[in-house]
Amino acid sequence: MADLPLPPQPARQVARIAQQDEADLVARAVAGERAAFGTLVERYAGVARRVARAVLGNPEDADDAAQDAMLSALVKLEQYDARRPFGPWLLRIVANAATDRRRRRSVRRVEPLDVGLTAGGARPDTTTERRALNERLRQALAELPERRRMAVVLFDVEGYSHGEIALILGIPEGTVRSEVFHARRRLRVLLADWKEEG
Amino acid sequence: MKDPLPFDHRPDLVLGRALREALDPGGAQLFTARVLARAEHARAASWDAVLARWARAGVAAALVVALAAGYFVGHATAGSPTTVRPTVSDVLIAPPAHPGEVEVVLASVIGNN
Repeated sequence: MADLPLPPQPARQVARIAQQDEADLVARAVAGERAAFGTLVERYAGVARRVARAVLGNPEDADDAAQDAMLSALVKLEQYDARRPFGPWLLRIVANAATDRRRRRSVRRVEPLDVGLTAGGARPDTTTERRALNERLRQALAELPERRRMAVVLFDVEGYSHGEIALILGIPEGTVRSEVFHARRRLRVLLADWKEEG
Repeated sequence: MKDPLPFDHRPDLVLGRALREALDPGGAQLFTARVLARAEHARAASWDAVLARWARAGVAAALVVALAAGYFVGHATAGSPTTVRPTVSDVLIAPPAHPGEVEVVLASVIGNN
């Protein structure tokens, strides 16, 4: 008998399976299984580094903060409640590690964004232009308040819900919505020209 | 470009993609390897710390046991004074515990003579 294609699983069910899988990985990591912790690190390295970079700006500092957060999470793994999703729990540690590091390090002056750059420019087709756009976005992000930066990255880049971001940042859900809205308004100006031509 | 609707609950895919590219540092495998190496190092260091803690506790416990043993041995020795074996003269000079003993000794001496 030919195998029938499986119907697509509802998102909620997929999320539940992923949560069970992560709870299992955490249990194995707590028991000392190196590979299980390795899988968790691989799975969350990207988001952890991006969130840390949104806070710190500098990629080396961000990697150090993300690494510290991962190791701190390893130590605290036994405290993780397996009934809750792992991502927000870990990202709260990451956000705190990045914020602490930013407070500790000497304050770096953020150069104000060049008005000419924010007002548009050529469509970034080439690598150079794309690089310039990335730089402009990073500068624009650096001008936003820290919480706003994290909120928009977690929502638009990483796909977390407002509720999950509220858990990560320890703020009310309504505040998350407001932060995402204001961050987007600022960042979309940069992308306007690119979007309209693309 | 229109302003976004306030509190739009859907992720902005274009902005998200652009931000992801702007924030992506690359070198994911290198980062993962570095974290795992640090985790191994931390684990080994924590075992060393545990063993060192156990060793310190072990030395302290051994000292306590040795002191306690010394105290009890000393106490027991002081409680039972050393028994001194009586010499022949002590036996002869000391008043007899049983009156008949001296007569027996004297009789045996006289008898031998």
